[in-house]
Amino acid sequence: MSATIPREVQSTAAEGGRASTGPVRDGAIRESVLEINHFSVDYGAGENMVRAVSDVTLRLERSRVLGIAGESGSGKSTLVYAMTRLLRSPGLISGGEVILHVTDEGGAVTPVNLVTATESELRRVRWSHVSIVLQSALSALNPVLRIGREFDEVLKTHRPNLTKAQRRARAEELLRMVGLSGDRLERFPHELSGGQRQRVMIAVALALDPELVVMDEPTTALDVVTQREIIGELSTLRAQFGFAMIFITHDLSLLVELADEIAVMYAGSIVERAGARELYESPRHPYTLGLLNSFPPLHGERRELTGIPGTPPDLADPPTGCSFAPRCAFAMERCVLEKPTLVEVDDTGRSVACWLFDDASGSRVPVELSRVAPRAEAPKGGS
Amino acid sequence: MSETRVERDVVQLSAKHLSRDFTSRVPGRFVSARQVTHAVDDVSLDLVAGRVVAVVGESGSGKSVLARMLARIVRPTSGALALRGTPIPARAKRDLAYASMVQLVLQDPFASVNPVHRIRHSLERPLLIHGAERTQVGELASAVLKRVSLDSSDRFLDRYPHELSGGQLQRVSIARALCVKPKVLLADEPISMLDVSVRLGILNLLKGLCDDENLAVLYITHDIASARYLADETIVMYAGQVVEQSHGTALVDAPTHPYTQLLIASVPDPSDPTAVSARDASLRIPASASAGCRFAPRCPDAMARCASESPPAFEVRPGHFSRCWLNENDRVATLVAPLTRRKGEPTTT
Repeated sequence: MSATIPREVQSTAAEGGRASTGPVRDGAIRESVLEINHFSVDYGAGENMVRAVSDVTLRLERSRVLGIAGESGSGKSTLVYAMTRLLRSPGLISGGEVILHVTDEGGAVTPVNLVTATESELRRVRWSHVSIVLQSALSALNPVLRIGREFDEVLKTHRPNLTKAQRRARAEELLRMVGLSGDRLERFPHELSGGQRQRVMIAVALALDPELVVMDEPTTALDVVTQREIIGELSTLRAQFGFAMIFITHDLSLLVELADEIAVMYAGSIVERAGARELYESPRHPYTLGLLNSFPPLHGERRELTGIPGTPPDLADPPTGCSFAPRCAFAMERCVLEKPTLVEVDDTGRSVACWLFDDASGSRVPVELSRVAPRAEAPKGGS
Repeated sequence: MSETRVERDVVQLSAKHLSRDFTSRVPGRFVSARQVTHAVDDVSLDLVAGRVVAVVGESGSGKSVLARMLARIVRPTSGALALRGTPIPARAKRDLAYASMVQLVLQDPFASVNPVHRIRHSLERPLLIHGAERTQVGELASAVLKRVSLDSSDRFLDRYPHELSGGQLQRVSIARALCVKPKVLLADEPISMLDVSVRLGILNLLKGLCDDENLAVLYITHDIASARYLADETIVMYAGQVVEQSHGTALVDAPTHPYTQLLIASVPDPSDPTAVSARDASLRIPASASAGCRFAPRCPDAMARCASESPPAFEVRPGHFSRCWLNENDRVATLVAPLTRRKGEPTTT
């Protein structure tokens, strides 16, 4: 069976197994697979322009998982659609670059800027190097085609030298990897359950063994038990093939389990970026704290939770200062006047966009936001 | 306020031994076979004024069919409904009077509010159908928006569904249900399509309606943590059957059925990184009528007996029922045993 597993799998698989358990700190020496620099996306132009993603900078290392958490309208889906150049008009990339480090068959790494790439360059990169799994598998799979055709089309386009029988064998192998039997290839999407359809999507995404798989809320429409099964399968597959993953969800507690690093988005900007455990143990941004408190607990006394009051801002008419200020319990005068930028607040690589952590504002960090993570070495001085 | 007090314990809607079968044709090589799926199998429950009953289960467990039978959109194969003590004739059609007492709120607010009409239309239409004066419906509609903590201005009423967020639209959907002053609110996964930060708002709204206005609420969910947060009584369904049932938080805090334990283990819980990872649940069989326990093929604790005999509901302690053979003998001991064993502690006898 190993004959059918193509290319650089053998070299990255071993590394991938270790990578998922390692801490974030050795990050500097790791090779990156994706770099997003000062990336902005607008919808429309002129007076009606809405900035959906503003000045996002992110970096993802090989074989690691970056979680992006945020509510609807926070720009998380727009970010990945624009990043993979799938965004359609009126969406428009208005600035920044997205560098994908493409490893070709010989093992040489070439950076490709996806923002300026031509259609033919994109065609070469898409699916072979970066693939995407969408939230709604029912609308992503063609309802009038059998499942087998989805695999066939991908393999036919990108692996033209495979015979029909080889394509079929590869498709069956991919289905087996996600826990489905080969006879599912003959089925239509409506004959499968939601969980099975999402598994098919994952299998199709892995068909060409990409370096990066983008998952846009793949388990949101599924129930918890199926979600748990799929998350378990994803970890197994990642250990085996070592692909890096961007996982988008609004379920922060799921990300804490799954991701190495988490970026929290609010109103188009990243408000906090930290290692998954650090983010959970010691949230720094008030919005992160609010999100973490929005999940009813499974243990302890039953007490009333409030979630986050208010609703996310209208991006067509964004507030002048911090976009979270109107809902924030710790908002100061400065917050409504000036927009904070993402700055590193400690030496664990954590960045927060909040004036509470700016020394010049002379404010004291509230006790809820100054908890020390058990494993973080030296948190911000004075807290 | 003595009237409210009396109202509190009234059983508004009572279901006895409700079942619903669906028959489908399975194409065979020469002849097609009939296959019967027991979507809901012998479920009884009481919806009491001022109390929330939660029904927890996976997709396909029959929880939505149950809600639709209670709303009388789906006709039960067998079983009986009684509204405030009055039995509902089995063959009778659902009428306006029933609809004004029992209202259903659906999962997807974007799909359940007509996108081509203004919010005003969605709220005024049920009022008109249920006999409100045309001159008053505007006022009534804004009053009902206030009850769900929405902007009750004309400007809001004149908006279209696409201009609202999911959370706002779900509140509109709840407001629409409240228009006709129902006594029972059936909420079928009301928060699963919504953003995390607004979910608690909807749960607190349901709780408030229940506490302040004595609504009887049925809360259907697959999120057992939210059921624990909200419910006075929790029912866990699997393959159409009630497998466990208890009051307060007892069901989540001390589950006795292996399926409930699986559900709880599946919830992402970062507060407990050492938690036992989800138990193997990869085996799946269709919910067909087999002799034994329906959960047996997936059950990590299955015994020989489970495959051949269907377990009855054992009362493991007052008000806590569990449909599992593990709870048959020495009720108190077996209540603790499966749990302690899982945490790696010695079993106490």
